[in-house]
Amino acid sequence: MKRPQATALAAIAGLSISFAQAAELGAVDEPIKLAVNEWTGQQITTRIAGHMLEQAGYKVQYVTAGYQNMWQAMSDGDLDAAVEVWASNVPQGYHQLHDAGKLEDLGALGLDAREGFVYPAYMEETCPGLPDWQALAECAASFATVETLPEGRLLDYPGEWGTPGADRIKALGLPFRAIPAGSEGALVAEFRAATAQNAPLLAVFWQPHWAIGAFDLRFAALPEGTEECYSDPAAGPNPDVTGDCDFIPTRVFKAAWPGMKEKWPAAHEILSNLTLSVEQQQPLMGAVDVDGRQTPEVVAEWLAANESAWRPIVDAAVE
Amino acid sequence: MTATPNAAPAISCKGVWQVFGVNPKKNLDRALQETGGDPHETAQLLRRRGLIPAVQDVTFDVREGEVFVIMGLSGSGKSTLIRTISRLIEGTAGEIRIGGEDIFAADARRLLALRRDKLGMVFQHFGLFPHMTIVDNVAFPLKMQGMATAPRRARAIEVLELVGLGGREDARPHQLSGGQRQRVGIARSLAVNPDLWFLDEPFSALDPLIRRQLQDEFLSIQADLGKTAVFITHDITEALKIADRIAIMRGGVVVQIGTPDDIILNPVDDYVREFTRDVPKGRHAHVETIMTRPDPLPEMPDDPKLGADMTIDSALAACMSLYQPVPVWGRDGQMAGVVSPRDLAAALKAET
Amino acid sequence: MTDRFSPGTRAAALTLLVGLACVIFAPLAPWLVKWPAALTVPATEWIGAVVTWLADALKPLARMGARALSWPMDWAGWALIQTPFPLTIGAVTALGWHLGGWRMAAGVLAGLGFVLISGYWAPGMTTLSLVAVSVPLALLAGGVTGIVAYKLPALRRPIHVLLDVMQTVPTFAYLTPLLLLLGFGPVVGLIASAIYAAPPIARNVLLGLERVDPDIREAAAMNGANPWQQLFLIELPTASRQIWVGVNQTIMAALSMVIIAAVIGGFDDIGWAVLLTMRKADFGNSLVAGLVIVIFAMLIDRLSGKLAETRPVYSARITWVILALTVICTLIAARHLPASNAINLLGGVTDWMNATLGRFIAAYGPLLNAIKTNAMIYLLLPLRIGFDHAVTPMTWGFQWSAPISAAYFAVAALLAAWLGWRGRLLAALVLLLAAGVLKLGITHLPWPFVLFGAGALGWVAGGRGLAAYAVILLAIILVMGLWEPALLSLYLSGTAVLICAVVGGLIGLLSALSPAMWRVVRPICDLLQTIPMFVFLIPVLMFFQIGEFSALLAICSYAVVPMIRYTRQGLVSTPEDQVEAAISSGANRRALLTEVRLPYAAPVILLGLNQTILYAFSMLVIAALIGTTDLGQQIYLALGQGDVGLGVAAGAAMAMLALVADRLVQGFARKQSEALGLE
Repeated sequence: MKRPQATALAAIAGLSISFAQAAELGAVDEPIKLAVNEWTGQQITTRIAGHMLEQAGYKVQYVTAGYQNMWQAMSDGDLDAAVEVWASNVPQGYHQLHDAGKLEDLGALGLDAREGFVYPAYMEETCPGLPDWQALAECAASFATVETLPEGRLLDYPGEWGTPGADRIKALGLPFRAIPAGSEGALVAEFRAATAQNAPLLAVFWQPHWAIGAFDLRFAALPEGTEECYSDPAAGPNPDVTGDCDFIPTRVFKAAWPGMKEKWPAAHEILSNLTLSVEQQQPLMGAVDVDGRQTPEVVAEWLAANESAWRPIVDAAVE
Repeated sequence: MTATPNAAPAISCKGVWQVFGVNPKKNLDRALQETGGDPHETAQLLRRRGLIPAVQDVTFDVREGEVFVIMGLSGSGKSTLIRTISRLIEGTAGEIRIGGEDIFAADARRLLALRRDKLGMVFQHFGLFPHMTIVDNVAFPLKMQGMATAPRRARAIEVLELVGLGGREDARPHQLSGGQRQRVGIARSLAVNPDLWFLDEPFSALDPLIRRQLQDEFLSIQADLGKTAVFITHDITEALKIADRIAIMRGGVVVQIGTPDDIILNPVDDYVREFTRDVPKGRHAHVETIMTRPDPLPEMPDDPKLGADMTIDSALAACMSLYQPVPVWGRDGQMAGVVSPRDLAAALKAET
Repeated sequence: MTDRFSPGTRAAALTLLVGLACVIFAPLAPWLVKWPAALTVPATEWIGAVVTWLADALKPLARMGARALSWPMDWAGWALIQTPFPLTIGAVTALGWHLGGWRMAAGVLAGLGFVLISGYWAPGMTTLSLVAVSVPLALLAGGVTGIVAYKLPALRRPIHVLLDVMQTVPTFAYLTPLLLLLGFGPVVGLIASAIYAAPPIARNVLLGLERVDPDIREAAAMNGANPWQQLFLIELPTASRQIWVGVNQTIMAALSMVIIAAVIGGFDDIGWAVLLTMRKADFGNSLVAGLVIVIFAMLIDRLSGKLAETRPVYSARITWVILALTVICTLIAARHLPASNAINLLGGVTDWMNATLGRFIAAYGPLLNAIKTNAMIYLLLPLRIGFDHAVTPMTWGFQWSAPISAAYFAVAALLAAWLGWRGRLLAALVLLLAAGVLKLGITHLPWPFVLFGAGALGWVAGGRGLAAYAVILLAIILVMGLWEPALLSLYLSGTAVLICAVVGGLIGLLSALSPAMWRVVRPICDLLQTIPMFVFLIPVLMFFQIGEFSALLAICSYAVVPMIRYTRQGLVSTPEDQVEAAISSGANRRALLTEVRLPYAAPVILLGLNQTILYAFSMLVIAALIGTTDLGQQIYLALGQGDVGLGVAAGAAMAMLALVADRLVQGFARKQSEALGLE
């Protein structure tokens, strides 16, 4: 879903991160409300962003918010910014509000996200052709369950995120049936259960996510996802349809209340220039989700040890 | 318990109807028109149309200071009738006057005032407020009158003492026995010193022994206070014991109104006769109902000193061996009439 | 002639004919099976437009209200979180002593102690602040509704319908419109939980007032109380016991909605904690967070329960001692103990639970899988898609074919003929109907058959009005274009109800026969009813994977509780004189059960079945988190996409299904009660 918009946005944004000149601080007495969503990566990014804003002299308030339902609130100014938004599963409401000028896109976060078909590493023994996607066709039966017989079973995203898995297998002609997971928790529970008993499993999943490392998940190598593949039927292995290839890397970006630029000019600039890579974020997620440590504590350590990674952005905006 | 026959009626009911169902007023009017006003046929018609004529064309007066008992089996309409009189339910047709005032016409405020000042009622299942102490229950009508806390507590305790519950004022209803609860109910109904006293089967829920006790107590209270009382019961012996006059209801109709002696000795129909069948008449009927005043007076050699208010049983016992008529003496010491022992015996046998 | 056939027999025969006609003509007229898209009304769009317009119109007012409500909540949250935890624990323990003696005090201490060491103290207090505002709100709104219904009998029916709707429309369905109306934040969760929690108090206020002894009411009137004095001084206090039952239920309902509030977000409460642990499929921690909610529910339930009953007086001196100790502890804690959010002593336990779960699955994975596979092949698939599609070489070892079909129906017809010959015509017809449904599968049933069948059931259960009611509501779902997900919902909840009726009935029966069994079953029932069901999704998922079997288990684990409770309740409450009469007539235990207890308990058991049906429908939305494609999933989809129309329409469809089922069962229950002369 929403893939066309996402790719268009990705093309516009590009990677032109330039440090602009210093800006006014604006209303420093009023706290900037940053949205804290349901997943650890986002919480880490938000804490980092919040710390940077505090260093610039702002007050920050962390507001717990449901990712799917917070956009109207942000357009009303009840929330000021969300610093990790995934184009792949942002709801329709975001696009409507953005197109109406009620939400501002603050540019890419630089998080090199990847989506695709994942399987636990041990499946390479059951299905020796992996990670090549064509092997999936041959060992579909070993992925089968009673609900999908005789086809293999592919766990798809929760219904409200769209049906990318079902679209892929249809376009690629794989003998699989997509079963929508009800939620992220349902997907993770499947990983837990499958890896505990070395059971077969194929699912649509994404990275960065702590589960990739925790359960040793590997991406299947689908035909490379390109713009043409999604626009031109001729591209990709199946000459008749579009979308017969891997996911296009998802754009992860930052969004804000449009009034931010005026009210807190420097904060606006800091958030616009904020970037965070998978390599930076993934270890922090591991520390929280696998080692069970508290997010603020983990983030504080990282901020102290990597001042060079964020201090220049703050300084450039303030001085 | 003495009636004063010529005083203005305390309650006067004229052609009272109480019909349940859809659109009762309109349906009653229509049915009355169609039958030319015949109550019996009207009731039949209403029943056929799915309505329930619970009280049909009831007319009677209750005199000042008398105990007027309405008696009937369950479903005879007696409870409905007392509720219509107290306007706990709205009457369908007819006229009810209390102390001359048309109470169907009274507005909500007037009705409230009437209830606060003039009416008291005792209920079969006591109707005590479970969340209040005994004294608060009794003081509740006074509170509604707007009386201040201290005097109303004083008055409530006074009434509680009247019913023999002094010292229990801070108990809760559920801590009392049934008989005690109804004493509280009686106390509460008397707290505002009402002119009219309604009692809806007050003793029916009690054990026979307690019932008799409370009946006696009722009589003694009534002897002191002399209220105008409307008393509902389904128990003929209770009715005979306490009534000045009895109205017997059946199927929504008053079939007979009369003194206890009338009811026993001259039942109007089989229904009433059936009621009184097991009543030991000699114990309930009085000499005055069968004595005569022949003129000239017959030869009366014996005088067993019969009183007009003696029961037939005791009169018979006194003149067991006599054959000639004997004089009957009134309370005032004057001769009230003459009765022959043969008539006494015949009255006992009659209608059984 | 006609009186030989009972209404049930005639209805079943006609339904069978309609079904036959549908099957015969289906090849010629495909619209008999699948409602034509052209005739589908774009109801979801209309509803969306109307609701959005309404929300926009009411927005300013609603936002003002939302702001007003957020003040007391913020204030309560601030007070609860700022209060040092030893003070809170001590004060509530003192209250426990005052109300219920040392048992209650110990319970409070242990419960709150668990909350503290679980590491969820602060989120727990935030949750309490939400409940502290939503409960009074629900009590006020529900109480007024109950009083209005009592005072104005003409409004009773519409109010009952409104309450039914409030309780059957899944909360998720109205979250989107509420978001539009109230804006973002905890107030949405607050209002949603208040909407869900208000009906119990409204119903109980009405019930309590209706049950006030007429003598008491008339006594008040005759004592000169005006209508308001009568209501507030007499009737409400007299009904207080029943009203307390409602208060209790309202508190429980509000607590059960805590998770829903968290889906919106807006503040850091225990529901949010459950959701986060859910996302990680961290069973240990989600169980601990869920238990925190259970503990709150139990403490509030028991404490408020004590308030309602007359109780012995416990020494005030000890209350003061506890309070004094509390102050001392607070002072010491301020210096030496860590802050509440730094305490988490259960990490080891949760890790151990997760590891054990993993080991269990590793050890018993194949067994669990076999259970699921067999259940799917032999029960669920035939019910959903019929023998037609479910019987294949890969599942049953052979392919369903026309000759097999013929043989199948021949056997069914023979059995039916035998039953008919024995004079059990109704049973014969029902057997034929069941055979047909199994052959076709619930999701492939022709819509005229379903409509007619529901109408026939309605007619038998409650006459023409109920029949019309059932048919009209189902037709609305059909025309709205939600028929397919609705049939799936029907299949899921229907199967769950079937399982619950059998299993729950049996457990209830055993619990009635053996008090020892009941002592084991009862706390499990309590737990199942108060713990957020989300928590159980994780182990269920890990045992049986994403799919309808897991969804079914999740639904059953919640919906089975009323069946157990009511069955037991019905069986143990047979009047003593009937039991004695039966025993003195020489009935043995078995005869006593089948001849006396069961018939007498039937209306109560039917009520339990009714509750089970409603619970099953309410769990559909939560089961959607596992992964289903029914109405529950539509509601999530709508919530994720902010599609107001779809959310409301799917929610309404769900409510309609539930209401139809509810009315049908109630109709049968009433008939049974009347037959026993209980009403």
